[in-house]
Amino acid sequence: MLVVLTVICAVSGFSLALVHDVTREPIEYSRLKFVKEPAVKAVLSGYQNDPIKDRLVIPVGTDKKGKPVKLIVFPAKKDGKTFAVAFESAAGGYHGDIGVMVGVDINSKKLSGISIVSHTETPGLGARIIEPNFTDSFKGKSLDKDLGVSDISALSGATFSTKGVVTAVNKARATLDKYRDKMVQ
Amino acid sequence: MSLAKEFTKGLWEIVPPFRLVLGLCPTLAVTTSAENGMGMGLATTFVLVCSNLLVSLLRKVIPSKVRIAAYVVIIASFVVIVELMMQAYVFPLYQALGIFIPLIVVNCIILGRAEAFAGKNSPLPSIADGLGVGIGYTISLTVLGAFREILGNGTIWSHGLFWDGFEPFTFMVRAPGAFVALGCFLAMINLVSAKLDDRKRRAQS
Amino acid sequence: MSFGDYMLFIVSAILVNNILLAKFLGNCPFLGVSKRMDTATGMSMAVIFVMVMAGMITWLVQYYILVPLNIEYLQTIAFILVIAALVQLVEIVMAKSLPALYRALGIFLPLITTNCAVLGVAIININEEFDFVDTLVFSLASALGYSLALILFAGIRERFMLIKMPKAFQGTSIGLVVAGFLALAFSGFAGLVGGH
Repeated sequence: MLVVLTVICAVSGFSLALVHDVTREPIEYSRLKFVKEPAVKAVLSGYQNDPIKDRLVIPVGTDKKGKPVKLIVFPAKKDGKTFAVAFESAAGGYHGDIGVMVGVDINSKKLSGISIVSHTETPGLGARIIEPNFTDSFKGKSLDKDLGVSDISALSGATFSTKGVVTAVNKARATLDKYRDKMVQ
Repeated sequence: MSLAKEFTKGLWEIVPPFRLVLGLCPTLAVTTSAENGMGMGLATTFVLVCSNLLVSLLRKVIPSKVRIAAYVVIIASFVVIVELMMQAYVFPLYQALGIFIPLIVVNCIILGRAEAFAGKNSPLPSIADGLGVGIGYTISLTVLGAFREILGNGTIWSHGLFWDGFEPFTFMVRAPGAFVALGCFLAMINLVSAKLDDRKRRAQS
Repeated sequence: MSFGDYMLFIVSAILVNNILLAKFLGNCPFLGVSKRMDTATGMSMAVIFVMVMAGMITWLVQYYILVPLNIEYLQTIAFILVIAALVQLVEIVMAKSLPALYRALGIFLPLITTNCAVLGVAIININEEFDFVDTLVFSLASALGYSLALILFAGIRERFMLIKMPKAFQGTSIGLVVAGFLALAFSGFAGLVGGH
């Protein structure tokens, strides 16, 4: 009785592990394509490749528990050479973290755009960080030094949210400086 | 019964969820559009056919005392396979159907057919039974989904149907509309089958 | 979360996002047992008990077994096995130590294994990334919401039995239509938890 059940469970476990292995790559690609691609497309343009397919995974240190943290970088290429990259950064806003997809031109170190990936800001106030008026004001800004709130078109009545996005962009700047070489492989 | 009969009974006689009143949870939730209805129906059919086949093949080996547990493991395994494959190859549909994909494992239709049929019949009829019931379910879900989508969203398969200013009957794609639509459909089917039974009885006498 | 937050959370789970009328979980038994008040209350009690226990245990399984071993994709199969085993265990224990309650619940206890609401809530707890306490609260609140819908429904249906009705609508069909209007009533609560 137990033997039959154990055998069935064992076969089941084995086949599921097999299917899981086979589908791991397609699943990751699908997830990124449908969840992240809209943001990637919003911050990169003029590329000839598939940034999702050509993505790079870079180790960027460890978290509080000592587990390695990985950053996914989406490269924009022309004639096989990377001219811009997009990756996510995050910082605290008014209510929780704000996730920002940052697109940077590698050579000029100028922002090609930002896109808000996730947030839990107040609707009608902080949540307006997703509006084009706000995000477009980041386009073309140089990342030679940290951005300030006055460099972009800040949201009135939503200072924390605005600051959060700016902080996230500046964090991205630091990441870019530190790992630039790895990003343009 | 011949194989053809095993298959066709799933298309009318015991078509879920109308005549075999099982599998209601997903029916109400995913029939917000024809596409979602069909997607769910096909996923369920896959699990149903596979589990029916395996249960039938193993029916002489599984001891009666643990058969429900064994059925659950078998069904759950196929559900996980469907989950993984949908995530990999049809991600938008996977997102649309959401929590109801893993819930296929508690879809009473599948356990019901395993217990009522596959556990007592040979593999080929079990496949026919699974296919018939599964396709019947898929058709029901697609039709119900289409009905709610047309009335509630003004589209069919995401293609707009009506003129621009048309205000759809949004009630239909929300929770209450699901219940009411299913209830009315069920009533209609009851009416039709009652009439058919009547005609059959009169033809025989 | 503060007390106020918890209250909102609970009210939301019971009324606004009623697990049965808004989330469509637990419909099969819903239409079957809601014909009479006593079966409805029996099922409610069983659901409350199992849903809370299952919510807690599946949470532990997820975070202490599935995640550390990197086998989250086995969540569905692990959870349903936990629920089936839990129900089986509860039956055995209850038959021995609380026979009166066991007899009162009758057939509803084993039936809960296939109640999509139980598995559904367990999965929602993980998807929403609740911590252990939130899981406990959410499971309990969802179960209460389910019971509320069930008992209200049974009350309405008992009265419906006394009305003349076209044959086609009798039984499940009218049950569904009534459920629809009950769902409509509950959707009116949507404005209760303001903001989002």
